[in-house]
Amino acid sequence: MASACASESPKPTMDVAGMPWEGIVARSRGTVVRWRMWRGDPSINSYIDQWVAPRLFRDYGITLQTVDGQGAEIVNQLVVEREAHATGSTDLVWINGDTFRNLRKERLLWGPWAQRLPNAAFVDSGSPTIMRDFEQPLEGMESPWGRVQLALIYDTSKVAEPPRTVAELAKWIRAHPGRFTHDQEFTGMTFLKSVMYALSGGAGAFQNGFDERRYRRGSERLWSWLDSVRPFFWRRGTTYPAGVADLHRLFANGEIDFTMSYNQNEVVTKIRQGILPPTSRALVLRDASIANSHYLGIPLGARNPAGAMVVANFLLSPAAQFEKLRPEVWADGTVLDAHKLPSEWSARFRAIGSDPHAAPMDTLARYAQPEIAPEYQERLISDWRSRIRARAE
Amino acid sequence: MKRKNVGLLAATFVASPVLAGIVYSALAAVHLAGPARSGLSTDSIRVVLADRVTWSGLGFTVWVAAASTLLACLLAMGLAFLFRGHNRLDRLARVLAIAPLPLPHAVAALCGVLILSQSGVLARMAAAVHLASSPQAMPALIYDRWGIGLILALTWKEVPFLALLAFSALATSGNLLEEAARSLGAGPLATFRRAIFPALWRGMLPGVVAVFTFVAGNYEAAALLAPSAPLAFPLLTIERYRDSALSVRADAYALVLIAAFISISVIALHEWIVAQTEALT
Repeated sequence: MASACASESPKPTMDVAGMPWEGIVARSRGTVVRWRMWRGDPSINSYIDQWVAPRLFRDYGITLQTVDGQGAEIVNQLVVEREAHATGSTDLVWINGDTFRNLRKERLLWGPWAQRLPNAAFVDSGSPTIMRDFEQPLEGMESPWGRVQLALIYDTSKVAEPPRTVAELAKWIRAHPGRFTHDQEFTGMTFLKSVMYALSGGAGAFQNGFDERRYRRGSERLWSWLDSVRPFFWRRGTTYPAGVADLHRLFANGEIDFTMSYNQNEVVTKIRQGILPPTSRALVLRDASIANSHYLGIPLGARNPAGAMVVANFLLSPAAQFEKLRPEVWADGTVLDAHKLPSEWSARFRAIGSDPHAAPMDTLARYAQPEIAPEYQERLISDWRSRIRARAE
Repeated sequence: MKRKNVGLLAATFVASPVLAGIVYSALAAVHLAGPARSGLSTDSIRVVLADRVTWSGLGFTVWVAAASTLLACLLAMGLAFLFRGHNRLDRLARVLAIAPLPLPHAVAALCGVLILSQSGVLARMAAAVHLASSPQAMPALIYDRWGIGLILALTWKEVPFLALLAFSALATSGNLLEEAARSLGAGPLATFRRAIFPALWRGMLPGVVAVFTFVAGNYEAAALLAPSAPLAFPLLTIERYRDSALSVRADAYALVLIAAFISISVIALHEWIVAQTEALT
């Protein structure tokens, strides 16, 4: 089919970096772009497979091939390929945070290239959440793609008065034994980090790089908080759901009263998919809601950097960002600044309504706190595993 | 080339992917390859060997693998013994017993979640007859300390494979031995002990070893049904492999070496048992 029509991608050449945009577009025509990305959400898969891929083929003659892989797996794959002198299996990667840090540390990213995309002119360059990835400057090595914010999800038919702060949450947990928990992966650990913020007076206590002393002070507060509420967790805190999908299942089956997501609008897509009950609502804790962005990078040794740049540029276009933002598609936050867009697009972005199940836009913006250096999350995960999880044995 | 040498060459060829994996894991475990490559260091091996989580995870995994293999083995033997005849009912029972064979382990584990969780089918049935008023009133059968749900799901998944071996063992030699024992005047118990059981055991032993090693290394079922503490060995290995700190990823390779050592030991034990049995007969 489409892939059969595409010729083999050209070998990467250094001249892509200095080539005019028209030349890059011309070079990418008729090529294949292999994109290694997380494929765990049907809404995202549908957006990529049904909306993005056909338009890329129609408008640019690019065949998009997606391969499942995320975070650490991407780093491991690229390291092993480099060792085997077999680079080039991937042209584009979906990354952020510690994956960006590790790929840069290992010199596995090609660039700088992101500032050369024509649609980069529309990016909200005044937003630190977008222009700094876990406090790391982008330096043109990755292109912003989407923006998300941590939110709890509760069922209005079961929790009439949800807690609004971490202190209120602790009170609620103690009053409702066995009805709250978090997962062991990225979302759950981000929730714990947001609690650490709240107990330390906000993200400001941890900004400007990793500091051991500040981490110890903040994490000790977090462990004390956990010690005080953990006996009232689901299964008394002796076991934790593996990932956020397991957490959603426990919530949907009525075993717990809260789930959570590192996408403030996931509640909307999960209700539509029938995974969460229609009475579910997003909840932003006033002192514990972290926002971050996700990005696209091009691995060093990519066979088709020109095609990857064209794909990244297309994904930054107002049309692609608008489609992605729609609650009935993915509901992923845009990285574009409405003020920089042509007037017709600006109006469309402003008119897009917030779904009643999602948290209001102004609430999200008011309580959003930035990510901090990835080393904080790394230490938090490691210490939670040894100090909290292993203690349950 | 001598026949013996050809056999050795073929065996090496078959084992080469595993050997390559072990060599690569050994290099990565000492930081000479892989994501944690930073120059020779035995830190990861020392960390893994000194970590209580390694041994509790290993203990849990060996317990689950041993319990589910033993249960599956006993059930398969029972099925083979009960339905060893040639009538239509026996044939139908044998077909039904092996029917779940093509199901993936992930499906068996998902069935475990659907049936055994505190909001699963069993819990709903208990609620319908007023035996449980809420999910918390049901005993925890998944994510539980002893891996009950995991053992039950894996047992159900492994019975068809072992039953297939058991049916085959009885069909090829068991029936003849049974008839011989009966004709020599042996009673039902003696016939089972002296004729049927040895035939079953010999026929099933390689399968039992395969099931044990496979179950011990199975990721999907543990991911869906095992508790977070103790953390099952395959989950611990993957967790270390995906750690955000690159240096920790070497720990995963050290864990792989431990798993490989256990698998090879079990296979060596099997060979020893076979050799002992052959020496006696």
